[in-house]
Amino acid sequence: MPSLVILVPLIALLILNLPLGEVMRKASFWVALGFFIFQTVLLFCHHFRCICGSERFINSFFGMDVSVDHLSFMVMFLVNIVALTSLLVARHAIKDSDARFNFINLIVIASAGMNGVTVAKDIFSLYVFLEVTAVALFIAIALQREPRALEGAFKYILLSSIATVMMLTSIAVLFFAAGDTSFASLKSALQVSGKSPVLLAAIGVFICGLFIKGGLVPFHGWLPDAYSAAPAPVSVLLAGIVTKVSGIYTLMRLVAAVFGFKAAVCDVLLFGGTLSILVGAFAALGQKDFKRMLAYSSISQVGYIIVGLGTGTALGIAGAIFHFFNHAIFKTLLFVNAAAVEESTGLRNMNKMGGLSSRMPVTGATSVMALLSNAGIPPLAGFWSKVIIIIALWVSGRYAYAVIAILAAVVTLAYLLIMQRKVFFGNIRPELDGTKEAGPGYVIASVVLAAITVGAGIFFPYVFDHVIIPARSALLP
Amino acid sequence: MTQVSWPMFLMYCYFTAFVFIAGIYCILATRRLIRIMIGLELLTKGVTLLLIAVGYLMNNTGLTQALVITLIVIEVVVIATMGGIVLSVYRVHNSLESKYLRKLKW
Repeated sequence: MPSLVILVPLIALLILNLPLGEVMRKASFWVALGFFIFQTVLLFCHHFRCICGSERFINSFFGMDVSVDHLSFMVMFLVNIVALTSLLVARHAIKDSDARFNFINLIVIASAGMNGVTVAKDIFSLYVFLEVTAVALFIAIALQREPRALEGAFKYILLSSIATVMMLTSIAVLFFAAGDTSFASLKSALQVSGKSPVLLAAIGVFICGLFIKGGLVPFHGWLPDAYSAAPAPVSVLLAGIVTKVSGIYTLMRLVAAVFGFKAAVCDVLLFGGTLSILVGAFAALGQKDFKRMLAYSSISQVGYIIVGLGTGTALGIAGAIFHFFNHAIFKTLLFVNAAAVEESTGLRNMNKMGGLSSRMPVTGATSVMALLSNAGIPPLAGFWSKVIIIIALWVSGRYAYAVIAILAAVVTLAYLLIMQRKVFFGNIRPELDGTKEAGPGYVIASVVLAAITVGAGIFFPYVFDHVIIPARSALLP
Repeated sequence: MTQVSWPMFLMYCYFTAFVFIAGIYCILATRRLIRIMIGLELLTKGVTLLLIAVGYLMNNTGLTQALVITLIVIEVVVIATMGGIVLSVYRVHNSLESKYLRKLKW
């Protein structure tokens, strides 16, 4: 299974590029759709331990140290869901068939990279898969060669490369300490000489690199630009899962498996996370552009995940994992809604919209659910994860951080309600009177995602016991 | 493995640091996209040299070779992608100045 998750996307890529001429270009959407559904089924098969015994044979092709656990399973499931959504959006949003074919190839490559990130147990293969994902996204952002998209792509590529350099420098130092690059030997080396300032500095540099990749606040400059300038399906993919896998998941995995929950590491995470929560929330208040507002909201929500991780307690980490899951679902949903609005009205400026709920009922209704989940209103999923994180902060004695997290949740509700009022509520503007739902792809994607976010909220105890707690056991043995 | 004399190795380390600092300076000082690319390339080369030095000190050149070759391949892919984007920027604005890349603001 572990190496299958990298092999299967590569086989799908080969099938997509069989020299069949126009036939494959027309069928590429269905091939990719089938592939992602197959991959999801494969994940569940593995989860229920009914995959056939060919694993060792396939593993022998790869000299890498990989393994899959419940957290990887959850993240790969999210990758597949978001990739499917992005595919459905791309069917409508990218008109040119050549560009769509290229985008479908890139999405498959990105999913191979992200699957690799989730299963890597070696710090250097982790770097390789991070770069595979990032390169696919650089190209996807600049796909239609619009001036704004090129600017976003250039900023992303520049900061991402600097993050890579920081991570590699840190890898070199850690390699010097451990003599090997696997997580296990790095961890034992850090336990022996964890107090050495050079190693602490290396850990700090690595965390800064991951903060850049995840778009946390001192290093968030590229994120709103890349999210808002990218074509609609790319921003769904980027916001929904890519920055989370390449920044946040990697941070979780490395802090748990290599760095350990040292006091210094936890303080950095708590401070960076709280700064992101505040700056993201207040910056989102003042935005006019729909997608840019969502990008700042994303920074703020990712801050909650990092704060939950920074508590270092079992409860906080469970909250962080649950918020990771929820945020991937509802932020994807909000970006799908933004894409649907942009598709059917051609507008991104929220001040020029109004009353779209009466013309686009599904988009309006699902965006209300995503909003409520994002703002933390019970009984939706986002409420539970935020409450768990805040309780974990309070219990571990970080009262100031807990108060800031609660107050920022109020600001979250404020900016999301401003968005909702400007875009969906009220009377329809006369110039938008002829607006219709953007297409079946958007409707299917938003209904499925809304169902997941509502379901995860209502069946919270079941989800928490059967998904989040096993996933946490991967981080805290 | 043949041993290198200590002053020689120190010189190698100084050179690595020099390449690294030159890369950082290049990125900070310039306003041209191509020069930013060259600066990034210098930075990555500095890290590559650092990895080689570490592998030499650890007496583990086999693993370092594998790492460095992978690193070079990936770096080429990233720089080629960046080159493509810079080329597209040039086609749109007919200039390589980074001042044209300041449209996205709130």
